[in-house]
Formats: sequence, structure tokens, C-alpha cells
Amino acid sequence: MTGLPRPLTASTTRRSLIGLGAAGAGALALAACGGPSVGGGSGGSDGGSAAEETDFSSVEPATEIAFWTSHPGGSKDVEAELITKFTEETGITVKHVTAGSNYEEIAQRFQTAQAAKDDLPAVVVLSDVWWFRYFLEGNIAALDPMIEKLGIDIADYRDSLVADYQYEDKQWALPYGRSTPLFYYNKDHFAAAGLPDRAPKTWQEFEEWAPKLTQGDVAYMYPDLAGYAGWTLQNVLWGKGTAWSDDWTLKVSDPKTIEAMTWVQDTVHSAGWAQVASSDSADTFAAGVCSTTIASTGSLVGVLEAASFDVGVGFLPAGPVDGPVCPTGGAGLGVPSAITPEQQLAGAMLIEFMGRPESTVAFSGATGYMPIRKSADVSALLEKTPQIQTAIDQLEVTRTQDYARVFLPGADQEMATAVGSILTEEGDVEKAMTDLQTKLQDIYTKQVEPKLS
Amino acid sequence: MSSTTTGQGAPPRRRRLSGRGRRDAIWFLALALPNIVLIALFTYRPLLTNVYYSTLDWTLGSASATFIGLGNYVEFFTSTAGHESIRITVVFTLVTVGGSMVLGLLLALALNARIPGTAIARSAAFAPYVLSGVGVGLVWLFIFDPDFGVLAWFLRQLGLSSPEWMNDPTMALVMVMVVYIWKNLGYCAIVYLGGLQSLPQDVLQAAALDGAGPLRRFWSISLPLLSPTTFFLLITTMLSSLQAFDILRIMTPTGRGTNALIFESYLQAFGGYSRAGYSAAISVVLFLMLIVITVVQVRFVEKKVHYA
Repeated sequence: MTGLPRPLTASTTRRSLIGLGAAGAGALALAACGGPSVGGGSGGSDGGSAAEETDFSSVEPATEIAFWTSHPGGSKDVEAELITKFTEETGITVKHVTAGSNYEEIAQRFQTAQAAKDDLPAVVVLSDVWWFRYFLEGNIAALDPMIEKLGIDIADYRDSLVADYQYEDKQWALPYGRSTPLFYYNKDHFAAAGLPDRAPKTWQEFEEWAPKLTQGDVAYMYPDLAGYAGWTLQNVLWGKGTAWSDDWTLKVSDPKTIEAMTWVQDTVHSAGWAQVASSDSADTFAAGVCSTTIASTGSLVGVLEAASFDVGVGFLPAGPVDGPVCPTGGAGLGVPSAITPEQQLAGAMLIEFMGRPESTVAFSGATGYMPIRKSADVSALLEKTPQIQTAIDQLEVTRTQDYARVFLPGADQEMATAVGSILTEEGDVEKAMTDLQTKLQDIYTKQVEPKLS
Repeated sequence: MSSTTTGQGAPPRRRRLSGRGRRDAIWFLALALPNIVLIALFTYRPLLTNVYYSTLDWTLGSASATFIGLGNYVEFFTSTAGHESIRITVVFTLVTVGGSMVLGLLLALALNARIPGTAIARSAAFAPYVLSGVGVGLVWLFIFDPDFGVLAWFLRQLGLSSPEWMNDPTMALVMVMVVYIWKNLGYCAIVYLGGLQSLPQDVLQAAALDGAGPLRRFWSISLPLLSPTTFFLLITTMLSSLQAFDILRIMTPTGRGTNALIFESYLQAFGGYSRAGYSAAISVVLFLMLIVITVVQVRFVEKKVHYA
């Protein structure tokens, strides 16, 4: 018994613990001073536009890099094949990392890695709503000097897709898994309803067709709220002569926008020919639950494989106002700013390889995403999946997305919430849109405007 | 007057540690210091760092931030979204804690019966508790799916249509609460079962001899004697419910109607808003809430506990 330690006396314990606590608290208070540097102002661009460009003329590429991807459109296998070819050609080893299952998850990891200042990849998949935020925070590097060094033929990329990543006369990413929404229709249902074998030219025309489409549970399925409702609804807004925004001027609570969203609500509640999907509307469509839906071209191959009926695809229906009604979407590839020039150059080489005509054809064939190069030979691709031609053709009539949707942090989520209240709770449209306008304006004022140069 | 009065102005005498005392102190430090260092590094340091971040206007991924003091807290407590998140947290916690404990007790009473197959039944009842919340959420999504789900099929057989479990915020909250109670029911049942099996049988038999029926014996004897178990479960299930995340995140990724505090904290940082400072403030609010609830329970609720 005598060999065992006794409990300490009360006074010793108290003093020891107080001393330990004080020392610990001091040390922890110092430790807590890590993280971002704190300034008194409201911020400013963290370097995306201000960062000095590296002179790559004497830089040699790194021999080992990481590629962070969410494998858009189920592209894991085709990505792996392309990476193997890249390594054979260049000798650069690529760690193929599943950094998330969607754009939001990969963004979460990328941003966390920025905060930790560690473990950044050389190439990252970035979606249409994330790249600008990365630019604002100085997380991605301008690709121009790398494009020049590698002699990447930007003019051969499809113009509208390349332009999506340009800001302040610099190129911040290059296209990768790029898509547009497509109108999917069940050919069997259309035939049974006596409708022509084509997508409706306008929503007005579809309103006339919808009552005849009784073979499924519902004629038209809106994409689920988690599936970028703000993206596809731009089609309706643009067709009715309005938008989420005009550059940085919000138009969410404009009378025309409220009128357009009231029409959307009526299609679900008054007319009753539409519903909102509970999960991916492409899956719901492929299961035959609905006769038509709008989903990404990235879902095309999956739908064709899953559906037990003939699938038709067409351009998005137009509205009463002339002009493009189809937004672009999908993801590009970017290079982090906080890695070495050697890593950046090797990353840019991978981006160049993934964007080659033959690579983009392979990628499109496996996913349904659009070939991003003008010179890509799509004949074999079209032989296998002729529906992709529709997506390529539609690209000529696309429109750049509204700033409010793609450039405001959290705007997609706020739009989904507002649309949800309108469609699933039959809420007051004017109130929902006015509230949304207030929230988006607040986001712009606090989070974006101070950082715009 | 104090019995330890010293001369005015004279410093108090410090009691020196004896050789034995010093040895004990060294033993204490040798044994406790590694754990204290680890806890300080991986628990208290992040905790304090998080409190510090909660005073910043900081966009996740940004290298710079602005100090705004209590601005994030003011925004949270004055915004409709903040109030809604607190309401959802309270509803979710009350329903899941109450549901898990009441149903867990009923299940424990059934499992306490001396009939064949109870060992298998006990294992089956406890199994959901040890399953991954992500897996549970995915499976229940298939069950609740209004188009393809098993539940929708049963409702169709009855001539009913399925509620919009995922799209309607109210039904989404009901859905995640049902799944959460199902997953945690077994835990409460097994803990209650242990309590039931340790009840003094002589007291119960005496009551039976005095003519007390099963309901009377349960209400007047078993339930009061189970109060230590109930108290333990009240604390653990409440802390668990307040920190519920996996099922909510998997079944309702947008958080419409289900954004309890911890989920709202996640959504604000990682769900598209990238508001790391605001998210940290919500985490601190949740932390303080957990502390207050635990202290209140220990200080006041425990007084009602009957220890045998």
C-alpha cells in the first residue's frame, strides 16, 4: 500500500490546477490567434486579381501532383484512363483524389484546405457557382502565363464555355465537364398521347400538351430543390423577359419575375400538371414516373442506360420573349494559387491534356457532358449517343448565367428555399421573392461588393 | 474571526510539500500530463480557436478576416433564420428525447419478459444504435421516397398518397425525427432493461402480496426506482439529440425544416455560404446551450432522483 501514490493535499491540488489552468489558458489564447489575418477594413480581394503572376519561362513541372475531382457525371473510370495516358506521355504521376461526391463537397474540402494552408492539389474541379468565389478569395491562379507557356489553343475551345471563366481580362479556369440543361421526354408517353416526337418549342405549347400526358404520375417534373433549382428556372425567367439579376442589379422582386414565378406555382397547384422531384429528377424520369423533365446533359448517359423506354431530348422550351433561354453549367478545372510554380505548371499540363479533343470526346462518351473543343471529332460519339448532338446544337443558343445565381455565396441555397416555399408550400410568391431579394442584396453588400475592385 | 489570522502585513506562509508530497505531485504530473496536453491540444485549443473565430467576419478559404466582436451573435439572435433554427432544435430535441425514452421504456418492459427469443430480440432492438447514421439515413430515404418508397407503396394500397417527405419542411422534420428515434430506441431500451433487472424483487413481491396490480407496481415502485436510469438517459439522449447531424444531413441535404443548430452551423460554413465566423458563433451558442442544460439537469433534476 505504501508504494501507491496518495491523493494530493487539497491546497497543493488547487494551486497546481490553478497554475496549470492559467498556463494552459495563456498558451491556448496565443494558439487561438492563428487562422486568418485580421484587418480593420471590410476586406478586399485576397489576391485573385492582385497576385503577382509567376514567370514560368524557366519553371520545370513537378513530377507528382494531386487532382481533386468529384467525378462529375460518373466519370471516375474515364478520368482514370485519361490520367494513365497523361502519365505515360509526361512521366508526371497524378494522385486521383475523390474529394467529394458533388460540387459543394469538393468546394468544402478545397476551402478547408485553404484555411489549413496544407494539402492543396495541383488541379481542382470547380463549378460555375464556385470559381468566382475562389477568385475573390485569391484561392486560384490566373492560367494565362501557363496557357502561354504550354501553348494551349484557347481559340479551339467553345467560346461561350471559355468566356464563363474570364474576369478582369484573365482566364481563371478552363472548361471540363460542361453542360446545359436538356428537355427530356418519354417518347412512349408522347406517342400514346398523340403528341409529335419532339420537345415543345415553348412552354405555352407544353401547357396544351400536358393534359394529354397521363401515362405517368405527372406530365412534368421540376428538378429537386437540392439540384440547383435556381439554375434551371433561369429558363422560365429568361423566356418571360426577366432574370434573377442584370449584372449586379437584382431583379428578384421585379413584377415580371414575380409574374414568372406565379406561373411556375400555377403549373404545380392550379393547373396541376407539374410536381417537384424529391430526388434527382433525371432518376425519376428514367423510372417512368413523369413524362418530361429538365436535367443536365451530364445525366444523359445515365438516363439512357437506366430508362426502359425511348428517351427523347430537345432544347429547353422558350417563352413569349425572344432570346436565348438556356444557361450553361457544369464544371471547369483550375489551379490553386498557394502551390509552387512547379506544381502549377504540372497541373496546367494535366488541364491541357484533359481538354484535348480526343480526351473531351472520351469524357463526353462516358458522361454525356459536352465536347468542349471545336475541333473534336464527335462522329463516333454521335453514332453511339446521337442525343449529344442536341446538347452541342443548343450550346449555340445559350446565355451566360445571372450573376445573382453564380457569383453570390449561398444564393443557390436561398433560391432553393424560396422556390421550395412557392412550390411545395404554395406560399405567397410576392413575399417569397421580396424576402429572397433582401437576402441576396445583403449577401452582395456584405460579402461581394467590398471585394470587387 | 478567522482561526488562521496572521500578523497584518505579513505574507501568508506557504505550506511546503513534504518529500512524500513532492513524490505524489510528480506521480500526478507523470500520469496526468500526457492526457492534459492531448485534451488541451485537441479539445480546448479548437474550442478557444472557435470562440475566437466567432468574433470574425471570415469567409471560409479567405486568408483575411474582419473583427466584428459580437456581431455574429447579434445577427443570429435577431434574425428570422436564427429563431427558426432554435425552434427546430427545441422541437427535434424534445420529440426525439421524449420519444426515445418513452418507447425505449416500453420496449424494455417487453424485452424483460421471460419468454423464448428475448436474447435475439434484445440484440435486434440494440442493433440500429450501432449502425452508421449515414447508412441508416440512406436506407430510410428509400423507405420514405414518395415515388418509389415502401411507405408510399403501403399508403397507395390504402388509397392514400404519400406526404412530400423531402420537399415539405414540416414533414421533413417529422421524417428525420422518426428515423432518429428508431435508431436510438435500442440504446434507451437496453439501459432501461439493465435498470429493470436490478430492481429489488423483494419490494415488488411484497407489493404484489399486498394486492398491487402490475400497473400499480410499475407506476408506484418500478418507475420511481428507475429514476437514476431515467436521469442518466435524459442527459445522454439530450446531449446526443442536440448534436444529431448525420441523419439530418443525409436525408435532407438542403436543411429546409431540419436545420437544427449543429446542421445550421455546417450549412453556414460548408453549405454554400462559406461564412466561417457566423458558423463558429452558432457552434458556440450550441456549446453554451449544452453546458447550461447539463448544469441545470445536474443541479435541479437530480434532486428528484430516488437512489435505491
